[in-house]
Amino acid sequence: MDRIALPERPEWRAKAEELGFTFADMHGEPYWDETSAYAFTLEEVESRIEDPCTELHAMCREAVDAIVADEALMERMGLPRVRWDFIAQSWAEGAPEVYGRFDLAYDGTGPAKLLEYNADTPTSLYESASFQWLWFEDQVTARVLPDGADQFNRIHEALVERFAEIFAPDTDLHFAAMTGAPEDYATVETMAWAAREAGMGAHYTDLESIGISEEGQFTDAEDRVIGTLFKLYPWEDLFADDFAAHLATAQCQFIEPAWKALLSNKAILPVLWQIFPGHPNLLPAFFADDTKGLADAAHLMLAGHVTKPLFSREGASVTITAQGRVLERAANRDYDRHPMIVQAYHPLPVLGGMRPVIGAWVVGQTCVGMGVREDAALITQDLSRFKPHFIEG
Amino acid sequence: MKRSRNVSLVILGAAAFGLAACQQEEQTDAAAFPDVESCIAASAQGGWFTKEDCQTTFAEAKAVHAETAPRYESRELCEQEHGAGACGADSVQGSGGGGGGIFLPLLAGYMLGQVLGGGRAMAQPVVPKAGGGFATPSGGTQVSRLNSTGKMSTSAFTKAPATVGKPPMTRAAVASRGGFGGSAAARSVGG
Repeated sequence: MDRIALPERPEWRAKAEELGFTFADMHGEPYWDETSAYAFTLEEVESRIEDPCTELHAMCREAVDAIVADEALMERMGLPRVRWDFIAQSWAEGAPEVYGRFDLAYDGTGPAKLLEYNADTPTSLYESASFQWLWFEDQVTARVLPDGADQFNRIHEALVERFAEIFAPDTDLHFAAMTGAPEDYATVETMAWAAREAGMGAHYTDLESIGISEEGQFTDAEDRVIGTLFKLYPWEDLFADDFAAHLATAQCQFIEPAWKALLSNKAILPVLWQIFPGHPNLLPAFFADDTKGLADAAHLMLAGHVTKPLFSREGASVTITAQGRVLERAANRDYDRHPMIVQAYHPLPVLGGMRPVIGAWVVGQTCVGMGVREDAALITQDLSRFKPHFIEG
Repeated sequence: MKRSRNVSLVILGAAAFGLAACQQEEQTDAAAFPDVESCIAASAQGGWFTKEDCQTTFAEAKAVHAETAPRYESRELCEQEHGAGACGADSVQGSGGGGGGIFLPLLAGYMLGQVLGGGRAMAQPVVPKAGGGFATPSGGTQVSRLNSTGKMSTSAFTKAPATVGKPPMTRAAVASRGGFGGSAAARSVGG
């Protein structure tokens, strides 16, 4: 892996604007940044990222199977007891998953290490699947990238195939996000385009506009019944909302399915470590109150440890400690009241002063593409930059 | 090759979904105004609608408002949905109101839309929304500000079911929408 300075496409800002990529700059800082790109060899993409992430997803499925069968583990997941049956049922029924994103620490030498799994509401789908792809095609045309170059990015095609695999042609699907969040909307819309291409009817509704019919089914802003709902809104929040009581009885298929609440949850990290101790792609992880486990694993955490709440987004409430000293503490502490896990600290590599995190996309059960986000800080937060990547020819 | 052969160039925020996204909804020219004078002033600048269009659509919007505006059993409930000061007692003949028991959002303005292929312009009233912006009586179409023009789906001009003469909405009926989203911790919920 290398970080290589490359000329920007002269017209990319105009192109971004034309495509409605309005958040290419955020908070006055660039978010999409193509002044440099990450270069990988084909061998490292396949053996260090693609195959391990397909395996990690299979391991996660094994972990879900173990959790739903074990009340003590279920208790650890921080989800309301009244929803446990609903979660377990979604797993028992084989409710299909569509997508997820593993966040990995990878330094170009050792195995990639799983930092967390955004298995429920991953965003940056548009940048990864579409704008990054366009960058690559443009840069090959402009001869900035050589003819033999490639990109690990079958995300869009894989999504189209996945929708066609799960649903009969012409199935009506609803897609929902919170109003007023363009980054979220971009992910939802990218997903809906893939569904349309797969021959589905795709309808958008604001999440807040969803209603409940007299028969107890969810309805969109125009009172049409919602049979399948893609919701870019976390399960743990759905469980806390006023309509939570209707989730199990609304005869609605959810994407992602409810069992993803067990994966998009930092509690999965200690559970994975418990089931697959010493796996090369896992970092040692424990529940914060597991004093014995932590004491026994002290030799595995010599580089330090990271404390993370079970549920948080964009690095909120994360603290990194090394040699008894706080190295970095996220400013956003919104999730402090949640139970915590402790994960061995695995420093991100530093390239050009920036620390990249690999986002490896899983569609269905297979890893199909990647994107890179980098941040000057130790904790990748919402001011990080999205970087394109390519595979050297 | 490890990348998609083709990626549809997703255009974000365009008519990709539209509001309803019922296959190929027709788009038409539309405009929204707070009152008939603003509409007439805009018509003087040229464009697809005339002073007469402004007047006939305003009259129609007023009538549609009286017939289809959402009706609530209390002012408090109405203001919860439409904002403080945005509601009045129902004075429409035959509505069952007048006794002070029914409240509806005041007419905040109206939209007019061009009929494809010609004909009289379409009209819809808009009422305020709590938290800002405006919506048609059904809530199906929202406009962020008045004195604006743009393209709009023709279905935005579909008349909502009549509410006049029907029992007003109770708190339970209002609560049947909006049960999701309350737990979002941040503006952007994705990761």
